[in-house]
Amino acid sequence: MRSCFRWGGFTLLIIGFMGSAALAGEPTQAIEKTTDKIIGIVTDPALKEPDKSEEKAERIRKAVDERFNWEEMSKRTLARHWQDRTDAQKKRFMELFAKLLEETYLDKVEGYSGEKVLYEGEQVDGSYAVVAVKIVTQKETEIPVKYKLKKEGNEWRVYDISITGVSLINNYRKQFNSIITRSSYENLMEKLKGKVEKEQ
Amino acid sequence: MSIQQRYVGFILGCFLGGLVLCHGTYAAQGPAWHQDAEALTHEGYAHELSRHRYTNTEQKMSGSVGAPVMLCQVAEPVGMEEDSEMWGDEGASIPDPLEPLNRVFFQFNDKLYFWVLKPVSQGYAQVVPEPARVSIRNFFSNLVMPIRAVSCLLQGKIEGMGIEVLRFAVNTTAGFAGFQDVARQHLDLPLQDEDLGQAFAFWGIGPGFYIDLPFLGPSSLRGAVGWAGQLYLNPLDYMVKDVWANIGVRGYDVVNKSSLRIGEYESFKRAALDPYVALRDAYYQYRIHQIEK
Repeated sequence: MRSCFRWGGFTLLIIGFMGSAALAGEPTQAIEKTTDKIIGIVTDPALKEPDKSEEKAERIRKAVDERFNWEEMSKRTLARHWQDRTDAQKKRFMELFAKLLEETYLDKVEGYSGEKVLYEGEQVDGSYAVVAVKIVTQKETEIPVKYKLKKEGNEWRVYDISITGVSLINNYRKQFNSIITRSSYENLMEKLKGKVEKEQ
Repeated sequence: MSIQQRYVGFILGCFLGGLVLCHGTYAAQGPAWHQDAEALTHEGYAHELSRHRYTNTEQKMSGSVGAPVMLCQVAEPVGMEEDSEMWGDEGASIPDPLEPLNRVFFQFNDKLYFWVLKPVSQGYAQVVPEPARVSIRNFFSNLVMPIRAVSCLLQGKIEGMGIEVLRFAVNTTAGFAGFQDVARQHLDLPLQDEDLGQAFAFWGIGPGFYIDLPFLGPSSLRGAVGWAGQLYLNPLDYMVKDVWANIGVRGYDVVNKSSLRIGEYESFKRAALDPYVALRDAYYQYRIHQIEK
């Protein structure tokens, strides 16, 4: 009887372990895949030429686009202002905001110079996950980055990035709310449009 | 007068000077804020006004909206505060009753960076190679060990204090007077990122409110007091007693550090729609992250 329990417990342990191991990898794998892809693009010697910079940027945008959940990001950034928008407005906002984030991301990775990316573990809670990453620069600085992901269908997509504890979405939410409450949503859109156009 | 008192006096002087300047120009121009606030409620004006308000950051530099704004914000927090409650904890933000003044200092620091610090740091970076600059940064960082050690002690982080003392001993000797961070590289003893502000937070003291200090950048009331206290823990202020020499050494440290971070502030500004609000929130989130560690 006793050995029966023991074996049962042992089997359960094994199953639990396998289950969590299989589950644990997914969000990290998702981040790793996209990160490797982007590092591959920025370090590709064929894309180093100045006349290839547009192609390079386009490929990075595409890689980012696949991994980022723009709708979730937009919703969380506009927060309570999201409900007040019509579908057309939501769509327009998502377009512009995605562009701004793409450009911000491009800005960050274009200066890539052999920084190491270390995967420091993940936490999964149902269809939400946090993947912790440490970026070690050539200048001996370590930058802790946290990706927040949500699973939709079979894909884990990023809806927030925290760099040294500063959440991108929270930061934009503060800015957008400040602009909307001081002036108007239209003004926010105008500024967003101006920003995105200037970047290009 | 000691160096510490001079530094505190200087920053306090700048701060009060800004406050008086803000208030003085306000008195001459009349209550622009109230007109703005009223007009905000009319939808028709909102758009026109929004442009006005946002180009207004520049105007505020000359102090068109002054001290009374902060007074009325202290009395009844409008806008931001109410909203953050509606969002729950995610919307938490640092009170900013001195916003008009802070925006002036934000502009001041912004110009200081682009007109002085950045060109000087860039020129310096042309002359001194990067590994040397990293070493010099390590040297200054090693020097201010007492600040981190005492801040650890005040939070009961005995292990952290031990690590700091050990790091200092190893880096000062084997690391050639602190130029090499051998303690981190070979002994896996990482720098303990602690300061007095964090120690005060550990004791349950709140941040007070946001202050964008001239020359020093984003801080809080708590952070500013911590900064002043740290002047007494900084060996530099005991080693270099001559005021101008001390300012020189501190300035050099700042230039050296900035030379390793050129482009960060620029990309931060490129990504922001309201850089002032973005910086205030980034500062706040970053501090919470440091304190929780």
